[in-house]
Amino acid sequence: MHDFIERISVYVHWAIFLLLEVLSGFLLFQYNHYQGSVWFTEANIVAATVHDWEAGVLAYLRMPAENAALVRRNVILQQKLDVLRHELSIARADTSLTEKKQAELLEGMRLIPAQIASNSIRKRDNMIVINVGSNEGVAPEMGVVSGTGVVGIVSAVTPRHALVMSILNSHSSISCRLRGTEYFGYLKWKGGRPLRAYMDDVPRHAHIKKGDIVETSGFSAVFPAGIFLGKVAQIKNSSDGLAYELEILLSTDLSNIRQVNVIADQGKEEIDSLLRQ
Amino acid sequence: MIIQILKRMAFALTLLLVQVLILDQIHPLGYGAPLLCPLIVITLPLGTSRIAAMLWGFGLGFIADIFAGTSGISSAALTFIAFVQPPLLEFMAPRDSEEELQPSFSSMGRWNYLRFICLLLLLHHIVYFALEGFSYFFIKDIAISMGVSYVASLFLIILAERIRNPQK
Repeated sequence: MHDFIERISVYVHWAIFLLLEVLSGFLLFQYNHYQGSVWFTEANIVAATVHDWEAGVLAYLRMPAENAALVRRNVILQQKLDVLRHELSIARADTSLTEKKQAELLEGMRLIPAQIASNSIRKRDNMIVINVGSNEGVAPEMGVVSGTGVVGIVSAVTPRHALVMSILNSHSSISCRLRGTEYFGYLKWKGGRPLRAYMDDVPRHAHIKKGDIVETSGFSAVFPAGIFLGKVAQIKNSSDGLAYELEILLSTDLSNIRQVNVIADQGKEEIDSLLRQ
Repeated sequence: MIIQILKRMAFALTLLLVQVLILDQIHPLGYGAPLLCPLIVITLPLGTSRIAAMLWGFGLGFIADIFAGTSGISSAALTFIAFVQPPLLEFMAPRDSEEELQPSFSSMGRWNYLRFICLLLLLHHIVYFALEGFSYFFIKDIAISMGVSYVASLFLIILAERIRNPQK
């Protein structure tokens, strides 16, 4: 018996090795589905707090560049405002019912400002952690935008943080359309370069040219219609040859953003409940 | 003994902070980040039991995973090299070395130690990127990421070793 135990004990490190590797494998397959696992990812309290400090320091260091960008953005917006004011004064003459509704829709929307605590762009499924959570009114399925366009969709929240599925995620699919037309499709990312995404299912009879603007369609209820996504960079045939597949140059450089806004759209629940019926 | 363990923990914590706060943000040429964590397993002294080594590897990997959002990948890779390190060190350490030899450039000889680091780091990267590859699509991407990260990690580890034990 003693001999037997001695013989077994020689192999005990193999058992521990297998045990630890199986445990790692379990963690790998169980917790890499981000949505269900806020606790074992970057969004858990300790990790998120450390990332918060880091983001704070980085934000401070980047302030000059951010400031310059904000000023530039301000100027552009100011110009746009002037143009729109002018157009509005013309349009006021015959305000139609649809325009009124559009204005009402935008008014009902609340934006929650947030800072990015951690971000990745090199994985196949990239996620972002932002420093607002259910305490601030953030809930799953809300849209996240930056000054330059769409960033992603909230997928899970803790009281103080939220996990956002970035548009650079193979599971991300954002309903979009070509500005000025009614052609719509879904924006998807296929890995690789962080500024390139694809829009498929565009019919062959659509008149498209490079540089056309792609924006959110507003069908999905996560984003209101008309938020900038990017521009058409290349027009290709889809794999079945029945439609076009558009290569889109994204407007938001996700490797270089710090400030975002969560769209807390009050109308969303109504649309969702209608869809469920 | 306890002092040794505390020292090692402080070393591990330093490596982790450098990894999480600095290295995870760097992507040389847009590919994989350099990985410094294997150093803690590489420098385990001669005579460390395989079980203790594996616990070090797994524990460190587990924490690194939580911060990097790569649950299971680092812990699997570090456990694997921790399993290999003790016999490999015994094999590669000089014959007449002291009982609790601390692997370093001075104690093992420059080229010998470099070979030791290269081999363990290669094993680590193969496991790490093969597991990370489950979420990738292209084998080419995995290979390039691994290569870039390997070279960057090797450079950093040698640098860290030079800083820790400056040679005369």
